[in-house]
Amino acid sequence: MAFLQNFHLSPGQTIRSTRGFKWNSGPNQQQQQQQQQSQEELPPSSSPLRAKENNARPFNDTSNNNTVYGGDPLLTTPIRSEPQLQQQQNVTDFNYTPSHQKPYIQPQSGTTVTTHQDIKHIVEMTLGSEGVLNQAVKLPRGEDENEWLAVHCVDFYNQINMLYGTITEFCSPQSCPRMIATNEYEYLWSKGKGIPPVSVSAPKYVEYLMRWCQDQFDDEAIFPAKKDGVFPERFIDKIIIPILRRLFRVYAHIYCHHFNEILELNLQTVLNTSFRHFCLFAEEFKLLRPADFGPLLELVTELRDR
Amino acid sequence: ISKSPKKLPNGFYEKAAHNNTQRVVSVCKMYFLDYYCDMFDYVISRRQRTKKVLEYLEHKRAQNMSDQTLNMEWNGYIQQEHDVLRKRRLKPKHKDFE
Ligand SMILES: [Zn+2]
Repeated sequence: MAFLQNFHLSPGQTIRSTRGFKWNSGPNQQQQQQQQQSQEELPPSSSPLRAKENNARPFNDTSNNNTVYGGDPLLTTPIRSEPQLQQQQNVTDFNYTPSHQKPYIQPQSGTTVTTHQDIKHIVEMTLGSEGVLNQAVKLPRGEDENEWLAVHCVDFYNQINMLYGTITEFCSPQSCPRMIATNEYEYLWSKGKGIPPVSVSAPKYVEYLMRWCQDQFDDEAIFPAKKDGVFPERFIDKIIIPILRRLFRVYAHIYCHHFNEILELNLQTVLNTSFRHFCLFAEEFKLLRPADFGPLLELVTELRDR
Repeated sequence: ISKSPKKLPNGFYEKAAHNNTQRVVSVCKMYFLDYYCDMFDYVISRRQRTKKVLEYLEHKRAQNMSDQTLNMEWNGYIQQEHDVLRKRRLKPKHKDFE
């Protein structure tokens, strides 16, 4: 555990909770309160979130200032544009901040480690440096693209299953009555063609989603298991992309609503690695559009530029 | 009644201390450690195999092996790799931990 302990959660970094109320009221009341809360919590620049971000990110302050106040254009990072700032202000439960990612890129030195931690440390260092993951997602020479994508699709499914499994105690129909990522995004579940999508709790959504993936993995006509089995027509567009698009939403929910729990459980490196791998993979094969990344678009940009 | 702001849900530490949570967290960490060690091992050794095969084919070409035979050898190798990769997808997975 020691290798992750260089994470410092200063008071300025803690997220103002919008959650306490949820455990004290019945379901109906909860929803109402939540809606009220989301409206009330959008005062412009006075938002505590905004203040928090300024405090917690000296790193990015220069670029912020440059953009906002028109500093040297050569030093300005183009991704920090005014509209984005505006957007951030409107996010109430913005449970990750770039400062949370910092320890991941700052390898710890001089820790006494057991053998077990040593391996972890090596993997950690490897993952944090020189685009090893970027290399690893590339299609091996001569390999069938469908197979390569299929293997990864199953891998990410397993990773997300593992990650979500660690927070199931904290992600209940009471804590998360709707499958949301920030208050701006709600993902509805559709049980089939022609059936209108419905709002379900986060655990229910994840359950449906995992079941839906599993059914496809088990289908020989979609994910062939036999040596001579072939993939269906337009496998990538029809199968891979819809699965990845939905799996992403679990990352989004975890980042936006359970990142504090992830931090407490010391799983942030694992989560970041998994998500970064997912993004690099999606990018390598042009599988997801920026719109698919919705609430995590900023994080995605940041992980990519690392 | 108590609405004091807190960053973690009620009962977080109690839940986090549960044997079940502890177990699931350590299984998760081990899973990722295994996964990435194995994945890198696979990617690196596959590249080394491919490099050797390419060197071998280059050598054979210098010895005037026909293009057709060269292609057959290469395709045979690729098919083997393909089968290995498919098996990786199908290997028994850790089942749900929910
Ligand atoms: Zn949740």
